[in-house]
Formats: sequence, structure tokens, C-alpha cells
Amino acid sequence: MLVMGEVRTGLLQNSGEIPESLCQSVLGLLSGERVRVSRRPIVYAVSPDQLTGVDCRLASASRARVRGVGTVLSRASVTGGRLLQGSSHIRVVRSESDHRLSWSHYLARAGVVEVFGKVRVPDLAEGFAENGARDDCLDLGSVSERFMDAVQASPFLDRKAPFRSARTRLRWVAECGGPGSTGTGNTSAGTGAGAASGSAASGGAEIPGTGVLSPEGPAIRFTLGRDQVRTLRLVLPGGFTPGVVDFCEDLALHDWLLTTLLVIVERARVGTATRGEVTAKLAPAVDHLLHLWMPAARLDEGFAPFWETLERRPGFSRQWQSLVERVRDQIAINTLALLREAGGW
Amino acid sequence: MTPAYATFGEVAAERRIASAPLSHVSIELGHLYMEDFQAGPERLREQFRQVAPWAETMRRSWQSRVPGGRARVSTCFLIDDYFSRFSTPAELVPMVLEAAAECDLTIDYLARESACAEADGVKLARLVEDRLVTDPPADTNGARPPVTETGWLCNGARSPHGGAVQAMGSARGWEPPAQNAKRRHSIFVDVELWDTDSRGRTWSCPFLAAVWQLLRLGLIRNEGELPVRPRPRGPSFPSDWDELPAIVQLNPAAAPFSAYSTLSVLSSRFLPVELAVRTILSQVFVDAEVLGQVAARSAGEGIPLRDELVDRISYVFLGV
Repeated sequence: MLVMGEVRTGLLQNSGEIPESLCQSVLGLLSGERVRVSRRPIVYAVSPDQLTGVDCRLASASRARVRGVGTVLSRASVTGGRLLQGSSHIRVVRSESDHRLSWSHYLARAGVVEVFGKVRVPDLAEGFAENGARDDCLDLGSVSERFMDAVQASPFLDRKAPFRSARTRLRWVAECGGPGSTGTGNTSAGTGAGAASGSAASGGAEIPGTGVLSPEGPAIRFTLGRDQVRTLRLVLPGGFTPGVVDFCEDLALHDWLLTTLLVIVERARVGTATRGEVTAKLAPAVDHLLHLWMPAARLDEGFAPFWETLERRPGFSRQWQSLVERVRDQIAINTLALLREAGGW
Repeated sequence: MTPAYATFGEVAAERRIASAPLSHVSIELGHLYMEDFQAGPERLREQFRQVAPWAETMRRSWQSRVPGGRARVSTCFLIDDYFSRFSTPAELVPMVLEAAAECDLTIDYLARESACAEADGVKLARLVEDRLVTDPPADTNGARPPVTETGWLCNGARSPHGGAVQAMGSARGWEPPAQNAKRRHSIFVDVELWDTDSRGRTWSCPFLAAVWQLLRLGLIRNEGELPVRPRPRGPSFPSDWDELPAIVQLNPAAAPFSAYSTLSVLSSRFLPVELAVRTILSQVFVDAEVLGQVAARSAGEGIPLRDELVDRISYVFLGV
């Protein structure tokens, strides 16, 4: 099965971090449904799942015309009362029909997009990862962005961000093997309780084909692109679990933190500007960002190896640590300078 | 030292979804509007006489499907107290029950139509409106928000607005609307969900009927809880509709109100209403966990259920 998604990450438009109690109001995008909040090891609140209907082309590397119909599954989340994410994904299966069915068929398969005709997994995976929403193709980023905007428009936020920052985009594609990717036809009798975990009858058929990364074991490839775009390719021989989405969101979050801290340090013009100016520029990082670094905090054990791989190369935490030390050293030096001026030593 | 396995859970991070007791089928014996009431008790008796054989057929059909013939069948009756208020429960309910009894029908549950808009402080209609996922016309790629006309819901792409003038100044001719899932030709349906006046929003009859079907299928939750639970009847019926519970259980021995499937036996004048209801229900997203619960339960009984909830609804339309 092919799963693809896009996560957008940015700063919550509020002067300070919001308390846990406010997360319910800010993320309560659906009446009658609670916002789920997890407090350890960092406060994380997530909106109820939302669906968006689509009927459009899917990007393909070969530019073949591939039409997909179904629903996009989205959610918005706030981490540490400070970072906002909009995340959308779809599971792609081949339609067992040659024409579009009634909408109730697709609504019974939340987060599944059925494609018509013959398609190859690598073609779709490559097309989506590389091109995103080109030529009116499926635009998961815009869907994610809209849910983010809905949160940012909350009357509970003062819309005064403490510093300027850009939203980042992480497009991800996971090629999942294993059971659960083959269609079961029209009835849900065979799926039983399995449907309760959100994997309601998938319908449609498995799309054959192996990935370009490694057909054998799990694999990951993270690419830093231009214009705040990152792509992530995964091979999960064990099959799809909702943990994939958590992993991609977690990676997007930490990539945003790193990206943003780099920009803050760059803007501080260490060595060029005065110590006072440098410290003033670095202060927001201390106030709002440094405590948020907590990779793999809530992930399924199964995804820990992926994080470990990324820690070796490119070495997220290494770079983060080095930046954090730089920020603290700059502030320490400035403090010493101020003390020296005040004390005359 | 051997590694220790720790598990950690947080209550606020987990979803808890109450499950509804479920019958095999919920049969709606009738739907009473003011005009029916004004026509007198004979109209009601006539309706029940027509309904009785169909209800019996459905009951037998389930008895033959279920091992030991232990089919759980519940019956219900809906009274309109939303669009017009007439009579009182104290006067009307006994009359309805009497007419049903004359035709050997037992009404297990009685519901008020206004309960479909709001019941026990829960705005059910709003809850369902929030769960509409509109049927996307071709070339909907998610880049823009879904095209909607406030308060309306359709099954395709509407005709372009009249009077539009194209470049070069020529007036644009009429263009047809199109059904999304058409088989060559379209049957385009556009349903008004509500309107507003000085008193606020009034939900349309099809929208409330869609909520009614979802309640009968046991598919609505409010913060994980069942929004309405039938309450047993008191010794007498009140003189004000507002004092009557949203759903009253008249028969203490009744099978559960909600069911895997529903049957509504209706006058054929309700056919367009039910087409509208199905148009709405085809675009309601029911929580995957709730669907999973129902599917698991029915599978446990060896009763396969259709994934699409509109396929769990049956009708008999009666001529006059």
C-alpha cells in the first residue's frame, strides 16, 4: 500500500505559549468531539480527524494521467502550546470499479483514495514526493494549511508572534507492505474489530510494485529541498500503522525547530552586531524554542530505529545541541560583559 | 539487570466511545404531521392497517436469518412537534397507541421530531452538520475549500450562475448541473438544509429525518457518549411537548431502540424527502470507531453489514 501525506509546521500566532486548557478551544474544530491531550513528556494536543473529499489527478513521475477519488484525513496539533502543525494524508488503493461510485462508498473508507486503471507505486511515489501539487494534482499541503489557518483564526489567540518564522512543508511517502492492504469487497464483516483502529475496510485493491529505496527491509530517505520543502521517503515492510503519521509529524516538528533556530542565530549576526543586539535577537529562542526539542517523544517503538538513523546522518540532535550551546554561550558572554561593566572588573 | 517493560497511558489522550445497544432492525411505523392529526383517528388507523403486514414481513425475515429466530426488532413512531405544535402528548399519545393496538401493532418507542434538532441539551443537528463531507465534483484537488452554498447540499456540480458574461461580451447560455457519480445521465439533487428568520435557524425536514436515521442506526456520539437514551414512560403523558422525553420507551420489554438496519414504512408523498435524506446521509462522515464497533458486533453475530450506511436503510412507500 502507498501512503502519502504533507505536514505543515509553524509557530502558533500568539505572544506566549498557550496553556493546555486553551488547546481544547483552539483545536476544537468539530463539535461533540474532544481534543486529545497528552502531557508527558511534553504537552501535545491534537484535533479530531477531519475529512476532505477529492476527485482529481495524482502526480506521477511519468506524467501519466492517474485519477483518484476519495477522502483526505487531516488533523491539527499544538505541541508545547507553541508549535502548530496541520497534517493530511491518504492511503492509495486501486479502485475495483472503472467509474466513480456513490460518495457513501468513499466516505465509508476514511483517508483512502481509490485510483482508476493501472498505476505503478514508484511512479506515484516519485511524482508526489518530487512534484507535489503540480498541474492541478492532489494538493495535500493546501488541505493541511487550511486546518492550520482555521486554528490560527481562533479568537483565543492574540495573533502576536514573538518573532518571524516561516512555515515548513514536509511531503512524505511511505510504501507499506504486509497485511491489511488488500481489499475486502463491499462488506465489513471480515474486518471485524480491526476497523475500530481507524483502518475501516480499505476497499479497492493492492497496487503492485516495490519501492525505489529497498525492497527488503525498512528504509528512510530525508531530503532537504528548496523553499522550506522537505521530502521523506519510507519503506515499511511491516505494513501501515497510524504511527507512520505520528513519526512524520514528529520529524517535521523537529526539522522546523532546527530550521527556525538556524535562522534566528543567523539573524543575530554573531561577531558583527554588538553583544547587546546579539543577545536581544537570541532571546526569543530561549524563551520559546529551546525546551521544545524532544525527538521521538510519543512514537511507537517501531519507529525508533528511523530516528536513530536520522540522528547518525544528518544528525539532527547534534546540530541542535551545537546551536543551543552557541546561543547559551553568546548569552553567557554578554552576561559576563555586562557584569564586568557594572562591577568594573 | 533485565529490562523492565513500562506502559504509560493518559486518560485525556485516549478516546473512549460508548457503544449503543443494538437491535437487528428498527421499524418506523409512522410519522405524524399536523395534517394527519387533523384528518382524525381514522386516517391513523388506515395508516397502521397498511403498515402492519410490512412490519410483520420484516420481522419474519429477520427471524429466519437469526439462529433460533431470536430477532431483535424494535418499532418506533415519530411525532412532529418541530414544524407545528398541535394537541398535547396527554391527548395524542393514547390515541396513537390505541389506533396501533387495533391493528395489532406495538409501538416500542415514541420520538419527538424536535429531538432530532436538539435533545437533552445536545444540538444533534449541528453535530451532524459538522460531519458533512461534501461530495467533490471532478477536479477537486484540495487546493481550495469545498464549494458550498450555505445551507444547501447537493450531489454534484451546480449550474454556473446565470447572467455571467464571458470574455468577448457574449452572455453565457444555460449549462446543466451534473451529478458526480452519474452513469451517463445525471440526477442532480440539491437539498436545503436549513433557513433562518427572526427566530433563528430552522432545520429542514430532510435534515432532521437524516438525524433520525442516524439515531436509529446508533451512529451519533457526543464527546464519545450516546446523545439520547430512551426513557421509560411515566404513569401519564404530560400536557406539554417539551416535558415529554426526546425518546420515550413505551414497551418495557422492547428490543433496543437503535439497530443494525432500519425500515421506514411511509406514504409515497415522502419519497422526495427520503431522496433528500439519502443525499445528506451519503455525505455524513460517521466516526470510524463507532462504525467499527457496530461492524464488530454484527460480525460477531454472523450478520454482515454494508459499509455504506445508506445501504442499511430500507423503505416501503405506500400509495394512498
